Amino acid sequence: MTRRVLVTGADGYLGLRTVQRLLAETDDRLVLSVRAADRTELADKKSRLERETGTTAHRRVEVVPADLTEDAPLAGVATDLACIVHAAARTNFDIGRDTARRVNADATARVAEFAAACPRLDRFLFLSTLVSVGCRTGDIAETVTEGDVEHANHYEWSKEQAERRLAERFAHLPWSIARLSTIVADDDTGRVTQYNAFHNTLKMLFYGLLSLMPGLPDTPLYLATAEFTARGIVRLTRPETVGGVYHLAPSPDEAVPLGDVMNTVFDIFERDPAFVRRRLLRPEFCDLGTFAFMVDATRGLGASPAAGALRSVAPFSEQMFRPKRFDNSRLRASWPDAPAASGLPLVAATCATLVGTRWGRNPAPNGVTPDAVPQ
Amino acid sequence: MKSTYLQDLAFSLGAIGGSVKDAEREGLLRSSADDLAAAGFDRHHRCPPDETAYDLARAAVTGLDVADGVDAIIYSTCLPGNGSVGDPAAFAADRDVKHLMEFPASRLQADFGLGSAVVFGLSQQGCTGMLGALRLADALLARESGWSRVLCVAADRFPADAVYEQSYNLISDGAAACVVSAAPPGLRLVAAHQITNGGLHAATDDESVGTFFSYVPRLVRDCLSRAGLTIGDIDWVVPQNTNHNAWQILARLLGVDPSKVWQKSLPETAHAISADNIINLKSLRNAGRIRPGERILLVMAGHGLNWQAVVLEATEGLA
Repeated sequence: MTRRVLVTGADGYLGLRTVQRLLAETDDRLVLSVRAADRTELADKKSRLERETGTTAHRRVEVVPADLTEDAPLAGVATDLACIVHAAARTNFDIGRDTARRVNADATARVAEFAAACPRLDRFLFLSTLVSVGCRTGDIAETVTEGDVEHANHYEWSKEQAERRLAERFAHLPWSIARLSTIVADDDTGRVTQYNAFHNTLKMLFYGLLSLMPGLPDTPLYLATAEFTARGIVRLTRPETVGGVYHLAPSPDEAVPLGDVMNTVFDIFERDPAFVRRRLLRPEFCDLGTFAFMVDATRGLGASPAAGALRSVAPFSEQMFRPKRFDNSRLRASWPDAPAASGLPLVAATCATLVGTRWGRNPAPNGVTPDAVPQ
Repeated sequence: MKSTYLQDLAFSLGAIGGSVKDAEREGLLRSSADDLAAAGFDRHHRCPPDETAYDLARAAVTGLDVADGVDAIIYSTCLPGNGSVGDPAAFAADRDVKHLMEFPASRLQADFGLGSAVVFGLSQQGCTGMLGALRLADALLARESGWSRVLCVAADRFPADAVYEQSYNLISDGAAACVVSAAPPGLRLVAAHQITNGGLHAATDDESVGTFFSYVPRLVRDCLSRAGLTIGDIDWVVPQNTNHNAWQILARLLGVDPSKVWQKSLPETAHAISADNIINLKSLRNAGRIRPGERILLVMAGHGLNWQAVVLEATEGLA
């Protein structure tokens, strides 16, 4: 029997790729919820989704407007759903606490309330983040976080709040939580169509606006492609996949140390003649106190790009001092044919794209343009 | 290797003193006065219209004892325009480039009766010019066996209507002068080091700030390595008068006790271009804080981009 699957945030970077995967790999009929201020925006988003999902997909796809920060946002959606993928979120690290709570935590609870009214539901998949576990270090199991946890920023906190609400208030739901790693490229070619803090940090380094790197060189980074992540999400939506928490991320032995990432990045930078001419040095690693002092001190530089660079790195800088080993044995058991992570070659390919396009200002050789301008 | 000694320290500042708030009111800043105050700046000094960079140099040298003469004058300017005392209007009138080649070092020689001195000009080292002059003096005294004293001068004033802020620092017009001698007492010049990155010759303020925290640690480490020293061997760091937080950060990076960073003139003097190190060094000496055997690290970053550092060691009988 054909399943009906709701994807929230379907027009977002990962939501869209999940939709494309579901259309390609399943017979599911999809309900795509998007946020739209008015009919014009909704029409624009529908057009884009039709364009991005292919001309034959429209028979399987229904687009509905929904503002998940409002009460009963999905009241217009039929409850005969088999699966909900809750992808809608604000993912910027510098998000304010109130907004983070409203958009990421409260909205997740609203979608879960709607899920509870869906009698055929066999999966509620919430897309979270590895850093929802906050500033903990060491081995991290694929379980809901227990006890008090410190977080480096409100984004992390809001995702952890959402996870807890699911586990505590909606234990009766067939929920799964996919904790995602940092997505650095669309695929292993290193193509980048959406920028995040990873790309912006490299940009600041390339242009000489950031010369100190907060962190420990040995801190492992869990980097992945959107392709890997979307494939994993689809896998986790299948009814035969058991529920629970999954680290949808490279295995610990595939994670790449921060110091190696920096060396790879500068190896790529140093192939660029303009960069070589400027003779920018590789950044020094500094301790968290020094970096925090520096961020604070540069507040007096106003709108300076250098100060902005520091402020953009600041919200996640603490994580660079909190090495973690994310166990993903549950994921591997449920997805035994998961592709191996590309590690440093992915970093190199991504960096080459960034340098070649000057972070999206110039067209890529394949004509791809980014979804968003870097912050 | 022949040792040289830094002796006699003097400086002068533009005759118009004013607060950072005054500077804001007069439209001399890009940042807000509050932001510059938070960076440690309280006052600065500007030249009145009739006061030239050369006047500042002359005032600084007046504070030195050069009555016995010197063998050379090294005259440094950050702004190349301050390397001439000629009259552009005269050039415009008769198109004779001689009017553009009236050199302040030569005039200084004449004004102070230093007839046996030869002159050198440094104009490509930005704010690091004075440290470049010390290094050049050290090299000249090592090479010229008959020489015993070199007068080093750095003098700059900003043009009329200039913004008195560079790389988020409040600027003062000022000059510094000192004598480098082939004989003690004084501060023995232990090592000097310079890095020039021409790839950043047109660096923006933000690029200057951004690279400061990578190049200065390298500069310091390289300089100490040349001296066969470690940062633990340094008793005092005497930097330029830029944002006081910058050296708090560098002190952490380099492992320096922040209380050993002597930047006392910053609030009252602001960034007097190439003169900062001498002004702060004189402040440290006048405070009676320098003991024989102590080592002092002078550090300066400047446009170009240039970074220079000098290690000094106090001798017995330091004046």
